[in-house]
Amino acid sequence: MKELIEKIKGSINLSQEAEEHLFSISNKKTFAKGAVLIRQGQNVNKIYFVTGGCLRSYCIDKNGKEYTLQFAIKNWWISDYIAIHTNESASLTVECLKESTVIEFNAKELDGIHALFPEFEPFQRKNLERHMVSLHKRILNQLQLTASECYDLFLEQYPDIEQYTHNYHIASYLGVTQESLSRIRLEKAKK
Amino acid sequence: MKALQIIKYGEIKDSLVFNEVNKPTMQAKDVLIEVKAAAINPIDKSIILGNLQSMLPIPLPSTSAYDVSGIVVEMGAEVSDFEIGDLVYSRVPQEQMGTIAEYVAVNNAAVSKKPGNITFEEAASIPLAGLTALQSLEYVGIKENDKILIHAGSGGVGSFAIQYAKAKGAYVYTTTSTNNVKWVKELGADRVIDYKTEDYKTMVSNADIVFDTLGKNYALEAFEVIKQGGKVVSVVGPLDEESAKMFGMADYKLPKELAQLSKDKEATYKFIFMHPNGSHLGAIKLLIEDEKIKPIIDKVYPFAESMEAFAHLATGRAKGKIVIKIN
Repeated sequence: MKELIEKIKGSINLSQEAEEHLFSISNKKTFAKGAVLIRQGQNVNKIYFVTGGCLRSYCIDKNGKEYTLQFAIKNWWISDYIAIHTNESASLTVECLKESTVIEFNAKELDGIHALFPEFEPFQRKNLERHMVSLHKRILNQLQLTASECYDLFLEQYPDIEQYTHNYHIASYLGVTQESLSRIRLEKAKK
Repeated sequence: MKALQIIKYGEIKDSLVFNEVNKPTMQAKDVLIEVKAAAINPIDKSIILGNLQSMLPIPLPSTSAYDVSGIVVEMGAEVSDFEIGDLVYSRVPQEQMGTIAEYVAVNNAAVSKKPGNITFEEAASIPLAGLTALQSLEYVGIKENDKILIHAGSGGVGSFAIQYAKAKGAYVYTTTSTNNVKWVKELGADRVIDYKTEDYKTMVSNADIVFDTLGKNYALEAFEVIKQGGKVVSVVGPLDEESAKMFGMADYKLPKELAQLSKDKEATYKFIFMHPNGSHLGAIKLLIEDEKIKPIIDKVYPFAESMEAFAHLATGRAKGKIVIKIN
């Protein structure tokens, strides 16, 4: 929780009262590798701030194959925002790729914090903007860059992630086949 | 629910019928799987023909086939390792046979989550052949640098066994026909022997392991190419004495010729009867996700064309597995 408080304090002036409220609606939890926090098809009301480990959100298509939407490492947020926004069942599954520690919030309670403590607004707005920028960059990169260049950027963003992910987690995130990713890795290893 | 059932022993076209049946009854340790895909194997054909009546008696009518992939939709009271919505695959136990249906109830000990990087159709193609290969090669303790001869590299078991043996670091010889040489080579086999133009017995010598998936004389011939102290493992050859006891044949003796050859070479002979095992499927899941093993599918048939799938199986010419898409 200290990590999140420090992060918030880096953006806004946080009153003692607001800090205490944040504590009261949060729940620090540790999950084992393989634990599923959100399951496709089920109800979602939780949002997670990652303080350690690595999580992945993915969807499963009608043929049963997985496609990675996001990896979340320390200081990232993860949930199924589509489900929370539309109040529908989850279209994503969120799982731990290694033992992970998260701060869990109820989505409604986290949203309600703005009414109680308006100073959170700019913090949340900045978070959303950063999230949007990251998504736009990801789309543009996929449109403009080669698979090899996308892979380089991916490694910059998640330097150690290959230790605990499968090839197909990354391949589906980049939108390439496992064979293509293996080839890219092989070419890089030769250089 | 709709199911493809065996109504009598005999020719496939006379013995298989689509029936409307009740959903399977659940036991405390079962998961109910909504079937997405099923796969068929030579044993399914043998059961329909009545060739296994004494060994694997089934009540008639019975729904056909053992391999399945799908989604867990219900769980028995004593199931804790799965959740509703899990994507799974299984080779179902004998008493729960019947995967060419909309639903199948399976003891959870025989079930594993399916590999995430392959489709339901690909996942359904794995269990029976994969478990047969894994349990055979693990029984003989395959290890790095072992020289192994795998017969029928283009079959469901053979194509899996080649990839499994390569994942373990073995040197793989395999036999197949001319048309299959190229793709079997692509599975990773070090030396593909075209049995139509080459004699494997002159090409393989001092093998550590021979994996017989063909039966007939191949179990005997294995001792010509095995090294002194090697291991012959078969899934279709004669029973060994230990396996025979499992089937209640206490007085069974290994055929004399086989026993003599085994003695002369100080080599072991073991018959493997595949057993359903969710943990083993879990190990295979990881190998598939790490791309050590790829499913090899010959053709996927829609549920309504299941009879055609069996007719294709009966030709014995499939390159990889035959899958039926249920839903």
